[in-house]
Amino acid sequence: MTTDADIEYDRSLLGVEHPVGTFEVTQDMIVDFARSTGETNPVYLDEEQAAQSRYGGIIAPPTFCNIFISGGKRPDPGIKFGDLSFFAGQAIESLRPVRPGDTLEASTRLKEVYAKTGRSGKMVFAVWETSLTNQKDETVALVRESFVRRNRSRR
Amino acid sequence: MTALYFEDVDIGDDIGPVERVVTTEEVVAFGEIRQQDTGPNRFNDAEVAKSEGLPGPIVPGAMNIAIMSQLITGWSPSVTLRLLDVVFRQVVLHNRPLTLSGIVTDANVVDGEGQVECDVFMQNEEGTRLVIARAVAVLPTKSE
Repeated sequence: MTTDADIEYDRSLLGVEHPVGTFEVTQDMIVDFARSTGETNPVYLDEEQAAQSRYGGIIAPPTFCNIFISGGKRPDPGIKFGDLSFFAGQAIESLRPVRPGDTLEASTRLKEVYAKTGRSGKMVFAVWETSLTNQKDETVALVRESFVRRNRSRR
Repeated sequence: MTALYFEDVDIGDDIGPVERVVTTEEVVAFGEIRQQDTGPNRFNDAEVAKSEGLPGPIVPGAMNIAIMSQLITGWSPSVTLRLLDVVFRQVVLHNRPLTLSGIVTDANVVDGEGQVECDVFMQNEEGTRLVIARAVAVLPTKSE
């Protein structure tokens, strides 16, 4: 890994919190998300069966918060490198169950920008960290996303 | 499905495999729930995908992550997924057979909590690993 010293981007964004939005969680949203991802676990789908579970009711699947995190809502760090951009990876830390009726507030910050050189050449990574907090001011999830920019291969 | 306890799990234990196909209909439904990706894009339109150098419409990363998580949450009702750290190595195409599998790489009691680390893979018919992940799951201990 190399440092970001030679990468041209808007460094004023580093570490600065940006609001993503406030989101009301409904049971329909949870069930629709679960169905669309092929989920079969009743704790995400069936009110009666979920009520008998250790959660006492329907909860959201652990990656549900992803539906509130949109790349379009982040400021553009304006990285001056590469002509191709990819979603490179994501880490989701689920800290508490999300339930119907919860109100989630999401905010994000640019955590780091760094360069790496692999077989396909130099790549520049931008890492964003988003936290989601419920109406009790409890953090329910932390999401770290990596986006990579590189040049198209010229064969 | 029976409850799985921390003491039941050992390093090297396999999770899965589970066979899966992500259909175009599922990808379209997922895009509608996210209230984005609903116009023609790389996830739902062959021409857009090809114009971006892709072999065809691809499964969104957020959907791949959800599917990867199901290998762990489907392991046992007693399992709680704490962390899923995913790296996308290659694109995942619609309507193709996928195999999800995992292996336990570590198991420790941390602050009284039974934590199990696993490597999780999504691979295609050719055995190529398209998506890889590290997962941390929490299991109840028999003393709880």
